[in-house]
Amino acid sequence: MSRFRPPRDAPLWAGPTVLFGLTVVLFAVLGVRLWYLQVVKADFYHSKAQENRTRQRVLYAPRGVIRDAEGTLVAENVPAYAVAVVREECGDIQATLDQIARWTGVDRDALQKSFELGKRRTKSFEEQVVVPNVTFDTVALIESQRHRWPGVSVVVRPKRFYATGALLAHVLGYVARANEEELARDPELLLGDDVGKLGVELALERRLRGKKGLESFEVDAAGRVLGTTRLRDPVPGEDLQLGIHLPLQRAGVRALMGKAGTVVVLDADTGHVLTMVSSPSYDPNEFVAGISQARWNALQEDPLHPMQNRPIQSVYPPGSVFKLVLAGAALEAGVVTPSTIIYCNGKYAVGDREYRCWRRGGHGRVDLRKSIRESCDVYYYTVGERLGPWAMSEFARRCGWAQATGVDLPHERIGVVPSPAWKLERLGRKWVGGDTINMSIGQGYTVATPLQITRFVAALVNGGRLLRPLLLSSDAPEVQGQLPMKESTRRLILEAMVAVVNEEGGTARVLARPGIRIGAKTGTAQVVKLMDQYEKKETKDIPYKYRDHAWLACFAEKDGRRYAIVAFVEHGGHGGSEAGPVAGAMIDALFGRGGMP
Amino acid sequence: MIDRRLLSHTPWALLFLFVLLVGAGLVNLYSASSLRFEDGLGVESFFRKQLVWSGLGLLVFLGLLLFHYRHLRALAWPMYGMGLLLLVGVRMFGKTISGAQRWLDLGPLHFQPTEFVKVTVIILTAKILARMEGSLGWKELLNVLAVALVPALFISRQPDLGSALNILLIGGGMILFKGLRPAVLKTLILAAPVLVPFGWFFLKDYQKQRILVFLDPTADPRGAGYHVLQSQIAIGSGGFWGKGFLQGTQSQLRFLPEKHTDFAFAVFGEEWGFVGSILLIGLFCLFLYHLALVAEEAKNAFGKCLAAGVFFYFFWQVLINIGMVLGIMPVVGIPLPFMSYGGSSLLMNFFLLAVVVNVAMRRFMFKR
Repeated sequence: MSRFRPPRDAPLWAGPTVLFGLTVVLFAVLGVRLWYLQVVKADFYHSKAQENRTRQRVLYAPRGVIRDAEGTLVAENVPAYAVAVVREECGDIQATLDQIARWTGVDRDALQKSFELGKRRTKSFEEQVVVPNVTFDTVALIESQRHRWPGVSVVVRPKRFYATGALLAHVLGYVARANEEELARDPELLLGDDVGKLGVELALERRLRGKKGLESFEVDAAGRVLGTTRLRDPVPGEDLQLGIHLPLQRAGVRALMGKAGTVVVLDADTGHVLTMVSSPSYDPNEFVAGISQARWNALQEDPLHPMQNRPIQSVYPPGSVFKLVLAGAALEAGVVTPSTIIYCNGKYAVGDREYRCWRRGGHGRVDLRKSIRESCDVYYYTVGERLGPWAMSEFARRCGWAQATGVDLPHERIGVVPSPAWKLERLGRKWVGGDTINMSIGQGYTVATPLQITRFVAALVNGGRLLRPLLLSSDAPEVQGQLPMKESTRRLILEAMVAVVNEEGGTARVLARPGIRIGAKTGTAQVVKLMDQYEKKETKDIPYKYRDHAWLACFAEKDGRRYAIVAFVEHGGHGGSEAGPVAGAMIDALFGRGGMP
Repeated sequence: MIDRRLLSHTPWALLFLFVLLVGAGLVNLYSASSLRFEDGLGVESFFRKQLVWSGLGLLVFLGLLLFHYRHLRALAWPMYGMGLLLLVGVRMFGKTISGAQRWLDLGPLHFQPTEFVKVTVIILTAKILARMEGSLGWKELLNVLAVALVPALFISRQPDLGSALNILLIGGGMILFKGLRPAVLKTLILAAPVLVPFGWFFLKDYQKQRILVFLDPTADPRGAGYHVLQSQIAIGSGGFWGKGFLQGTQSQLRFLPEKHTDFAFAVFGEEWGFVGSILLIGLFCLFLYHLALVAEEAKNAFGKCLAAGVFFYFFWQVLINIGMVLGIMPVVGIPLPFMSYGGSSLLMNFFLLAVVVNVAMRRFMFKR
């Protein structure tokens, strides 16, 4: 290596040209890849980067509250606690669920089921509610140990509360967690949302619910929130006010004394529902919290059917109340005049069969007024035969029978007004003479809801307008039709109804109150053709399910205020004596001290 | 000692490119270590530390230019021995960071002997190759390769497969530069497909995992595939023009892991886009071209082999690192010269550049 020796330059296998060529070729590969990522797929990766850092959060809108006519809250929102998990942050999700089951005492299998259900509807980095409604004690327990269970959180969400409990259960209905079917049908619903299941909560769900808002926020890789943007403000649900007055409702419940039955009071001039009692009742708050299977079965199997909203979901034979319709039909058709006399000797023969008046000895000479006042069956057997089933059927329908009232409540039944064609179609049998006889006293196939009958009575009082029953005080009156009778006919029927209360021989004399114009019609609807063995017995001696239904349909008028009231006691026995005091209690509440203004 | 001709033969273009690359690296590191919110960790100090290392590097650079590079020939074995001792030292007293024992703790700065070992391997290999005449046969090949193989085995136990591989590749590159006998070359090419699967059994589980993830990064997007996916998202979302300095969401919001070290190029690609990235790759390309020129014009075999070693030192790192960040090579811990944070690596960059500049400056000294 002496400085002066020429260097031993061995020939090189790969010179600089080769090195540089290698560089250019391999770096060109990098360039192509760069072009692919940053030019060809730029949009794809741009949206990936956006997804990385922006997430969205739903802002819940409070559900509208519901008040009674006097402003008392009957359905409100109170805070409730729920346990949620963020799947992505849970180390071992099964172990976490085990722990949640231990904290809350929820059945582990049920928890797994609700977790699997919700998994499909929440993203892995979103909070998924697994146990709704936990007590504050449980919250305290979880909060004390939560640091050991990443991904577990306690969320506060509003919960529906019905301060009046069973009192308004059938009208309000209730909300409960949306089920799979409701979630699939309604894209606005999210897992864990409450949704109206019955009553006004269901019927007016759209107005009560409001619209959810949306917020987007930027996060870093650790999930820390860096900034939020409101994309859409939540719109609170509409607050609603019922036309129902709680004091009246309470009076109705008291008067029914726990018996199965119903009381409906309508403002005869506007159609507003002032009272709608269905007895017995249930506590809707049980459903909000998530009802147990045992409680649910008990409610379903109760022989008095507490879940049934009797004013609209139950149909009953109207009994003698139907005579009000027939009186109108007979006068309008001209088969009788007000002064036509029909003789009642207590019996009426059709072919070789004999039908009896409820009064064995007969009513003697009966005109239209007396026929209503004393509810003479023979008079209506005669009128029914003269009219025939087609005319009766047609007239009753035009009076709103077997027509939906259109009240804002779900599952309304429409009842039946039979005709020969109806019988042939539904039962496959021909109409016979006995059917006409049965129909003329409101027995047989004719059935109606208590609310339909109340609407009919309201129309008799208010000048013949059939009004839609209105639940909200803000609803404007809505005329659905006109009774098919002349003014004179209507007045005649009303006067006869007043006679039922105020004249000797009237069937509802218990209703008489000084200073108030009250008219009524009683009804005693047979559940079955009473067997001879029970014929002469007192109501209390007949088995409950064979006892007659007791009806009282009435109106009360004073100082320009007019109300239609229908009281009904299921298997109550005689109309006047059983349902009468209930209607009387409503009149006292409406006009008495401390009653309606 | 300072000759006027030294200055006239200074490769100014190479130095200019070097300054540009170091500058780009510092700017990018500033962005990669800046924080959008306070968390008291002071990651910004990466940038400051890198500045300190650069200053140190400059002193080493200038100091080395004063001496003739032929002295390196005498120092080759002592330096190589010292490198191996340092590796043993790391094995016994080293500081463990993220599961690997690679650093020696020197007070405020940590030193990674691996980088120094690379340099000693280049010098010793150059010395041995320069002595050999003509292309290499089997015996010479094994002789030369052993120089790289011994430290590579040590380093692969740290474990740092990337650096071990890097050392072997540098040695291999230098051997190819020098030339192999055709028979040897043919046999090696035919044997490669047999040797590669055999090597699989020497890999650790996490190393196998990396190779599997490279083949399909989406298989485990939250785990092992995370680095690769996030770096591709960063680069791809940069688009043609880039998001702008300090504007990269992937890096600034820390979705991008190791953004100041091995994945620094992803930060650059996100913020400067296709235009910036191509420009940077072009700079590296030119830089390598000028290194190759020095090898061409060096006055003796030692100088040529030294320059070639430095060429391969940079060539493999740039190729593997950018390839890895772009998702066309497996994830191995190889930094990108000048861009990745790492003091030892930067210091060695200055050192090796000084060697090459030295070779270039003294190329005509004996032509009268």
